[in-house]
Amino acid sequence: MMILDALLQGILMGLLFALVALGLNVIFGVMDIVNFAHGEFLMIGMYTTYWTSVLLDIDPLFTLPVAALVGILLGLASYYGLIKYLLRGPAIAQLFGTFGLMLFLRYLAQFLFGIDYRIIQKGVLIGKSLSLGPFIFDWTKIAAAALSLLSFGFVYYFLHKTKLGKALRATSINKEAASYMGIQTDQMNAIAWAIGGGTVGIAGGLLANFYYVYPTVGLLFVMIAFACVAMGGFGSIKGVFFAGILIGIIEMLFPVFGQQIGWEFLGPHFKFTLVYLAYFIIVVVRPQGLFGWKQ
Amino acid sequence: MIKDRGFFLSFLIMLLSLFIISTSLYAEEKEIKIGVLYPLSGAAATIGRDLQRAAELTAEIINNKTPGVDIPMAQWGGIPNLGGAKIKLIFVDHRGEPDRGADLAKRLILDDKVVGLMGAYHSSVTKTVSAVAERYGIPMINDSSTSPELTKRGLKWFWRTTPHDDYFNKDLFELLKGLTEGKVKGVKAVPKSQIKNLAYACENTEWGSNVAKSLEAYAKEYGFNIVKGILYTANSPDLTSEAKTLTTAKPDAMLFASYLSDSLLMIRTLKSMKASPRFFWGQDAGFEMADFTKTLGTDTNGVLTRTVFIAKIANVKKVAGQVNALYKKKYGDDLTGATARSIVGVQAWAYVLNKAGSIDRKAIQKACNEINIPANELVMPWAGVKFDATGQNILGRGLIGQYQKTKEGKIDLEIIYPFDLATANMIYPFPGWK
Amino acid sequence: METIKDALDFRDFSKAERIGLILFTIFLLAFPWIGTGSFVKAVMIQFLLFSLFGMGWNTIGGYGGQVELGKAQYVGIGAYTVSLMMVWWKIPFWVSMPIGVLIAIGYSFIIGYPLFRLKGHYFAIATICTSLVLQDIFINWKLVGAAKGIELPIHEHPDFLYMQFKSDTYYYYFIMVFFYVALFYMNRFRKSKLGYQLRMIKDDEEAAESLGIDARWCKIKAYTIASAFVAVGGGFMAVYNLYIDPYSVMDLDLSIKIALMAMLGGAASLWGPIIGAAFLVPLDRFLGSWLGGYKGLIGVDFMIYAMLIMAVSAYQPRGIWGIIEQFRRKGK
Repeated sequence: MMILDALLQGILMGLLFALVALGLNVIFGVMDIVNFAHGEFLMIGMYTTYWTSVLLDIDPLFTLPVAALVGILLGLASYYGLIKYLLRGPAIAQLFGTFGLMLFLRYLAQFLFGIDYRIIQKGVLIGKSLSLGPFIFDWTKIAAAALSLLSFGFVYYFLHKTKLGKALRATSINKEAASYMGIQTDQMNAIAWAIGGGTVGIAGGLLANFYYVYPTVGLLFVMIAFACVAMGGFGSIKGVFFAGILIGIIEMLFPVFGQQIGWEFLGPHFKFTLVYLAYFIIVVVRPQGLFGWKQ
Repeated sequence: MIKDRGFFLSFLIMLLSLFIISTSLYAEEKEIKIGVLYPLSGAAATIGRDLQRAAELTAEIINNKTPGVDIPMAQWGGIPNLGGAKIKLIFVDHRGEPDRGADLAKRLILDDKVVGLMGAYHSSVTKTVSAVAERYGIPMINDSSTSPELTKRGLKWFWRTTPHDDYFNKDLFELLKGLTEGKVKGVKAVPKSQIKNLAYACENTEWGSNVAKSLEAYAKEYGFNIVKGILYTANSPDLTSEAKTLTTAKPDAMLFASYLSDSLLMIRTLKSMKASPRFFWGQDAGFEMADFTKTLGTDTNGVLTRTVFIAKIANVKKVAGQVNALYKKKYGDDLTGATARSIVGVQAWAYVLNKAGSIDRKAIQKACNEINIPANELVMPWAGVKFDATGQNILGRGLIGQYQKTKEGKIDLEIIYPFDLATANMIYPFPGWK
Repeated sequence: METIKDALDFRDFSKAERIGLILFTIFLLAFPWIGTGSFVKAVMIQFLLFSLFGMGWNTIGGYGGQVELGKAQYVGIGAYTVSLMMVWWKIPFWVSMPIGVLIAIGYSFIIGYPLFRLKGHYFAIATICTSLVLQDIFINWKLVGAAKGIELPIHEHPDFLYMQFKSDTYYYYFIMVFFYVALFYMNRFRKSKLGYQLRMIKDDEEAAESLGIDARWCKIKAYTIASAFVAVGGGFMAVYNLYIDPYSVMDLDLSIKIALMAMLGGAASLWGPIIGAAFLVPLDRFLGSWLGGYKGLIGVDFMIYAMLIMAVSAYQPRGIWGIIEQFRRKGK
């Protein structure tokens, strides 16, 4: 029973991890850049939801479009303001360019919003739980998981069924060939950043429903998102989806399992160690990740 | 004419610079510099800001005659035995990094030529900073680090005003014992079988793991049963599995050692699981910060926290109320355990300097070893400040407070323990989150 | 003998660079006597330490072109070996430090072998993960002090066996010796066979392999050398701070800082890591020290720091040394 419960909770949390990582993956797939500032995008999404819901006094769930919009604008601004110029350099310079962006956004938020912890108090779903027999689920998490599924469906549809999405995928598979076909890489990159920013904005908005908001909050999620993307395979939407769920299950199931059989080293303090270890083992066995196609 | 003007100008500049130099020299003579290391940015910036505010306020009280505060030092207007010299606090930001703290301590000692040091909140930073202070033979008064080991290292230049974690954990078990004996205000004696099973969750840095160890030891001593104990990582994005492990153990009492961010997340998660222990206690840090109630609001109703200062102390201690009123007027919050400790830290410095009557470090060392601040001059409910051979203040004691919802829907922190200071009836059992 | 000669041979550099190196050496030797404050001296020690780290990172990250972000685990191994051996068995620094380096080398082989199956970003994230796993193990491992860390007993000043001194001047010259050993080693390394092989791998791995270069083995060797360098620095950190814990010597921040400084200064050049450290260490420490204490300015030091990082990586991906070379070429 405990195990089943942990499994379900893990899937809920995993869907959220996957949503956080989705944007990172789209950006990576199209232009081979690992965005260190991704956690800060998430943080800004959370602040957006917090401020719109508090200042305008509306339910945090209805602020999601605003969070998505801010995320899209942020993604575009980052692309045209910085990332475009980074593309000339080697991978390591790109990495540190986004690292600089991360520090900048984080401390800008600290400067603007101060160092107080904030939590949204009012909302239809906040603080309510769903009891199903022995299981108790947080409504905000259920909503987050549902919207995560919806976002995945939308992005998947967009990439595989629309013309623009197909162009985007063509760019991610072969940049040069795509540009011969008349696809403008610059535009594609910008679209990837817009999608990346938008989805992570939504993730932030959902997270703000049950999480505290603080300038360094992105730090907690960004490493998970990295592991998630790399585990699933860079550039694979399916991969990031299942990797997210896998991470959620690992971090939820192992501590519970360890407690039941009395293994100290499987305790909660090691849960993310296990996630990183799992990543290491998976990529050593399969260097392109679970669903990736390029190394 | 032009020549004359040039001469006149240069003469004026000379005079001006002389004036500036002399005033700065004069000022230097009348100023005693104390270096203060706090985490002013980074993850612990919130607490660093509060500590800095409290320390500054105390320096103001000492340096200017402050009416309406019944502590002798409020009427000093500077350190009397040093010719009314003012205390100047130099704040530096160690960001919670031990090596940065050590470097900054060197800067304060050798470049700023401070008379002594104060800080550093994080026990790990206090370790490196006090090692530097020891190496250079500069006195350091620690106001707010509670790791018991700090004063067990045989340092000659290190004193600590605050009681350490062992005191606080003992207080908790005294309270539990009091519950079974009917000593708690407003609660009839609880049968021990109802409160016997305890579960704790402590964050796994030095502080939390020490608390866990000492909780285990005291539980054995007082005859309580620990059904579940977990250590967890404070900067974890999700605490569901931790909360789950706690609730499935079905303990009577849940005990925590958490910083602010994880305490917020933990309570939110437990609430969503409808956890219902009879007793809910947090070991300071996250649980007693102003931001804790500000962010969680009425969800904190019934939560107990150990601390060293509660604003309600004003009911039994006049000076505490007066200083708290000053602080509240200036910054809008009540004093908390951490900020009140910072006040006592600066106060201890002032008394030590006054007793030493000089800024010679040997004299200060001697004064520290002999100082005895009487209870009625402290904002704290302590029996005073007096250091033993290890540098630990032996007259300090802790409090346990409970957040209680008032009729207006606000949250007040009431004193529950020590029983003789209790300001309200304890809410027992813990009401849970409805 | 030949190797030492080679290591001291700077003839292929321009005259300006050689004169610069001599002036820089004189400056470093004279620095403690110039009469600057002690904080400046402490910052200089940090600069030398991070140059050492950066030069180590440069073998794999610069010449090898691998995005390596897990160097902190080797700092930790070096620091922990020195501290534990001193606390448990009273073994002097000069014995425990080489042992620490050997452990780091052994560990880097074990980790490096599977690690270099990976390429590009998979590799980068895997290096972070291994470092995080080791940190988590140390945080929870009671035998090595867990999260509490280890405090070294304070010895009488001066103690050349355990390398404990009261004054920073001693530490300054102490780390300076390591700095120069590293510099000479790197000077030889860049001209060595391994150095050329690595650069070839970086340019085109498949082409290099078709020429009979075992790319994976070359990378492992470079990774090991980098780890050894970093472990030396870790040992120094232990005796310098007299206190270590998993958060201060094994953190991801430290890994990133090491790579960042080398990259920003100019990867794959001898001077790059030194310039990077000379630029970022003072910036970080002084900005923090000046602005950190003022209210209302919290975070501004980081914002300035971040903007400089972004500006350099966007303007010239080859770092500050790249900018200098660009101007030199324009000048000609």
